[in-house]
Amino acid sequence: MSDEVNCCQNPDAEPTASHAPVPVWIIVLTLVLLFLGAVYFDHHSGWFDKQVYAPYVTAEELAFYQPKSGAAAVAAHGKAVYETVCGLCHGSDGLGKPNQAPPLAGSEWVAKDAASLARVPLAGLNGSIQVEGHEWNLAMAPMGAGLSDADLAAVLSYIRTSWGNNSGAVSADEMKAARAAVSGNAPSVEELAKMTPVERGHAVFQKYGCFQCHGQNARGGVSNLNAKTAEQVPSLIYVADGYTKAELIAFISRGERNIPRKNPAGPEPPHFMPKWGPVISTNELSDLADFLFSLKPKGENLGF
Amino acid sequence: MNAKYPMILLGAAAFALFGARVMLADDQPLDAETKARIDKYEQGPATIDVSKYPQTIQDDYELFSQKCSQCHKLSRPINSDYAAPDEWSRYVKRMMHKPGSGIDASDGKKIYEFLVYDSSVRKKAMLDGKLAKMSTDDKAAAEAKIKEVHDKYDNQ
Repeated sequence: MSDEVNCCQNPDAEPTASHAPVPVWIIVLTLVLLFLGAVYFDHHSGWFDKQVYAPYVTAEELAFYQPKSGAAAVAAHGKAVYETVCGLCHGSDGLGKPNQAPPLAGSEWVAKDAASLARVPLAGLNGSIQVEGHEWNLAMAPMGAGLSDADLAAVLSYIRTSWGNNSGAVSADEMKAARAAVSGNAPSVEELAKMTPVERGHAVFQKYGCFQCHGQNARGGVSNLNAKTAEQVPSLIYVADGYTKAELIAFISRGERNIPRKNPAGPEPPHFMPKWGPVISTNELSDLADFLFSLKPKGENLGF
Repeated sequence: MNAKYPMILLGAAAFALFGARVMLADDQPLDAETKARIDKYEQGPATIDVSKYPQTIQDDYELFSQKCSQCHKLSRPINSDYAAPDEWSRYVKRMMHKPGSGIDASDGKKIYEFLVYDSSVRKKAMLDGKLAKMSTDDKAAAEAKIKEVHDKYDNQ
C-alpha cells in the first residue's frame, strides 16, 4: 500500500470532474447530418403539403400526373368527393365504423339499383336496417343533397367499383331522376323566389334533413348516447341568443367532430355535427340562419 | 478550444427546423385555428384574484368557477379575448342553453354580471380597445350595460 502513495498527488483528495469541450468531429458530423437531413426534406417533403408524398416533390407535380379526362378522371373525382363527404364516417376503406356508419364494402345496399342507392345520400336514412347480416340503427343526414348530379354520380360510381364492390358505374342522368323522385315536395325555383328568407331557410332545414337529428322545427333532437349535452342532440331554438349570424354560419360550415362525452370513460357518442360547408350553398346558409333565428320563443327575456 | 458557439448555432438551427416543422405541419382537427386559440387561453392562469371586488361579485365568481368548469377549463374564459358586454351575453347564453348545462336564467345572469364586472377591471385595456372600435350607438349601449352592472354591485 505504501508504494502507491507516491503515484498521485493526494490519494485522500475528493475526485473532481474536469471540463472537456465537445470534440470538433462530433459537431462537424452533426452539422453534416443536419445538412443531409435538410437536403432529404427538401427532396421529399413537398414543402410539408399534406397532399404530397414521395416520389412527388410539389403539389403541382402531383396535379400534373392526375388523370385529366375519361373514366380514370371520374374515378379520381369520385374518390375526392368520397373523402370529403362520406369518408369521415364510412371510412376511407369503406369498412364503416362501429356505432357510426355501416360498411359500404360488400354491402347489399350498394349493389341495389342506382335509384335506390341514390336515395340514401339524397334523402338520408333513419332507423333500423340490415347490412351484411348485422342490424344498424342510426340516422344519416342527406349528405348528398347539396352535391351536383355529376358529383353524386362520380362518388356513387366510386363506391360501387371500390373495395371489391362490382356493381358498375351510375350516370348523372340517373342521379337527376333519383333527385326528382326524392324531392317531389320541395319548392320549385319560382316558389322559392316568392318566399321570405325565413321560409326559404325552413325549406333548407328540411332539404338537408337537419330535423333528422335536431327534431322538427329544431325543437330538440334524437338521443345521442353518452353525449355531454344530456345525451341528446341539442335543440336549436335558442341559437339567436348565443350566436351572431356570421358565427352561426361558420359553425354550421365547419361542424363539430368531437362531441364531449358525459362519461369520459364511456363510448364515443354516435352522432356529431357534420361539416356542412361543402354541402350547403352560401345563400342557403344565410336563409337557414334566418330561419333558426326566427325560432326563439317570443317574449322570453333572460334580462341580460 | 471553446465549443460553445457552434453548439449554440447547432441548437438554434435544430430549434428553427423544429419550429418550422411545427408551424408548417397540417393539424388533424377540423378547425386548427380555433384549437390553437383555445389552447393559448387555457395555458394562462386558472384563477382570478377577486379579493378587491365587492363581496357579492366574489359570490358570483364562486358560481362562475363552479358552473363553467363543468365542461371546460376555467382558464379558457379567464384569458379569452372577450371583454364587451354583448360578447359575454352571447357566450354565456350559448353555453347555458346546451342541454344539461345546469345553468338557469338567474345563474346565467350572475355569471354574465361577474364577467362584465371583471372585464371592466382586469381587462380594462382590452375593453377600452374594443369600445373604441365600436360605432357611437354600440359604444353607448355597451357603456350603459357596464355602468348598470357597476351600479348594482358597487353600491351594496
